[in-house]
Amino acid sequence: MGQSTSLIRTTKLQRTYQMGKNTVQALAGVDLEIERGTFVALVGPSGSGKSTLLNVIGGLDRPSSGEVWVSDLELGQAPDKKLVSFRRDRVGFIFQSFNLLPTNQAWENVALPLMLAGRSRSERRKRAENLLEQVGLGDRADHRPAELSGGQQQRVAIARALANDPVLILADEPTGNLDSRTGRDVLLLLQRLVREQNVTLLMVTHDMNAASYADRIVHMRDGKIEQIETIERTAEAVA
Amino acid sequence: MTFGDILRTAWSNLTRRKVRTSLTSLGVTVGIFTIVVMLSLGVGVQRVIQQQFDAIGLENVVVQPRDAERNPYTRYVRPEREVVISPAKIAEWQQMDDIVSVTPIVDVNESISKRLVLPGDAAATIAVGVDPGIGINNPFETPPTALAGVLRPTKDGEIVISQRALRRLGLTAEVNNLIGQKVQLIMETPRGESQSFDYTLVGVSSVDNNLVALTPNDSIALKAWWFNEPDLLDKEGYDYALIRAKDLNVARQLTTQLRAERFRVQSVETVLELASKIFLVINIMLGSVGGLALFVATIGIMNTMIMAIYERTREIGTLKAIGASRSNIRTLFMTEAGLIGLFGGIVGLLGGWGVGRILNRVALAYLEREEVPIRGDFFYIPPWLIGLAIGFGLVVGIVAGLYPAARAARLDPIKALRHE
Ligand SMILES: Nc1ncnc2c1ncn2[C@@H]1O[C@H](COP(=O)(O)OP(=O)(O)OP(=O)(O)O)[C@@H](O)[C@H]1O
Ligand SMILES: [Mg+2]
Repeated sequence: MGQSTSLIRTTKLQRTYQMGKNTVQALAGVDLEIERGTFVALVGPSGSGKSTLLNVIGGLDRPSSGEVWVSDLELGQAPDKKLVSFRRDRVGFIFQSFNLLPTNQAWENVALPLMLAGRSRSERRKRAENLLEQVGLGDRADHRPAELSGGQQQRVAIARALANDPVLILADEPTGNLDSRTGRDVLLLLQRLVREQNVTLLMVTHDMNAASYADRIVHMRDGKIEQIETIERTAEAVA
Repeated sequence: MTFGDILRTAWSNLTRRKVRTSLTSLGVTVGIFTIVVMLSLGVGVQRVIQQQFDAIGLENVVVQPRDAERNPYTRYVRPEREVVISPAKIAEWQQMDDIVSVTPIVDVNESISKRLVLPGDAAATIAVGVDPGIGINNPFETPPTALAGVLRPTKDGEIVISQRALRRLGLTAEVNNLIGQKVQLIMETPRGESQSFDYTLVGVSSVDNNLVALTPNDSIALKAWWFNEPDLLDKEGYDYALIRAKDLNVARQLTTQLRAERFRVQSVETVLELASKIFLVINIMLGSVGGLALFVATIGIMNTMIMAIYERTREIGTLKAIGASRSNIRTLFMTEAGLIGLFGGIVGLLGGWGVGRILNRVALAYLEREEVPIRGDFFYIPPWLIGLAIGFGLVVGIVAGLYPAARAARLDPIKALRHE
């Protein structure tokens, strides 16, 4: 399993929640394959299971049944320790509300995954400055989150998601808290990163305009995949 | 995550809420302060007492003869002695290894009437006591000094008289000029017999009483005449012997040996052992007061940490999502709690030290005013107390952090991230 070019492969993936007597099927058998180096948008109505799928693929949540492979690791059966190191070394998370640590400077926030991995402070600083440069915040390394705008904070968070050189970036409504202009900047940045760094990006959104920046759009409804749409992009549409 | 990173992160989290952190560690401060003040007082007083005993000399052993059982028929007779400190015994002890000196002492009872007289001047007469000169100073009094000549006579026929007695006798000249003066002790029995004994003055002492000091032999001679027992020394021996051993160990061995020989033996060490037992109990009691304060402080830290975890739930979720392990989270919160305890401990220690120093000054000033010749620190912080105070603060923090940290480590990252 898991050979070929696909990075993510889920089969008959289910996730159920027990709410008293009721069973909520957040994921009702998801079969999905995502190739390395693609930008995938996950869209669907509220409650359709987008976040749940993202969390399972990111090793934050475990499926009730079915398999979820990321590269050569099956996350459903992997021990807790494996999931921790998977998240730390191979995945980058981007959240709707940025979730930067308020006491840390921008560069320290970016370097958090490296700190958890036990890298030296000087190495961390160097890499963080490099990444901040890439997201256009080279001059804000020593600022605290409170001193940055929402768009800038999300760019710091993107730099943080890149810090461990991940194969996979998972973003849950990264533009949800941003105005449309800043949202556009962030989406363009994400698009550029996928292209330049050959990283795979899975982004949850309910904004079709945001989804249009992706290479593929996965439509979800009631815990199932309804439709997968591939965007044919001409050269001028990128710019 | 390296330990340096943990410390730095914990520190920045604590300084984020300075007031709360300080207030929480104040609880520990109070507890450690109490413990430090109480224990340093206990230790200090014990040390001062120990120093006083050291000055007396723990290597001194006081030996007394033992009176035989009295039976109802000899009730009015002077008691027989079961064992006697004879001159031969004194000589034997002097021959023993590791013995510095053996001093026989004769107690000339107060009830034996004796008057000090200047030869040829019948008017100059006062009643005096004979100072047995145990050779152990009362630590609460300034020890007497020789104002002229020597403090104790060394040869038979010599006498040392207190300055006060000399004044009363009318000898008001410069004390140095009185050395060599002839004096007599007149003894008178209730039957009307009397006898005079001649002495040469060899020293004037500062004792604040009408006292004279004689050699053991001369003292025995007084008693022998009074009881009309010419061979009193052979029959009853000396009343005490002060044996100065080379060190404490020798003194201990000697004590056991002499007790086995049926002598009554007092050593200062016995008293001191009792004293340290009492002090142990007092220290434990005083320490418990601080312990109670620390218990309250522990709850305070726990409360603060639980609150901090509640406030930082999203942060914990974020950290977990980006790869923090349970043990990373647990260590971080334990470190924060430990630091709160550590600061409390250090501040409490410094406070206790400062207050102790101030009270030392006050106590010293008081003692000087009251002319008690005791010096020393009543509040004393030995190195182990420094370690204990800081270690206790740290342990209190860590213990208080155990439960909140475990709770933080257990948090489900998804729920934590959704937390508002
Ligand atoms: N912890 C939970 N306990 C019970 N039910 C849950 C839990 N988490 C999610 N669900 C349910 O699972 C379903 C899918 O939730 P999910 O968060 O994946 O939706 P979503 O597609 O991300 O929606 P939105 O666009 O509003 O974020 C919902 O019906 C939700 O109520
Ligand atoms: Mg969602």
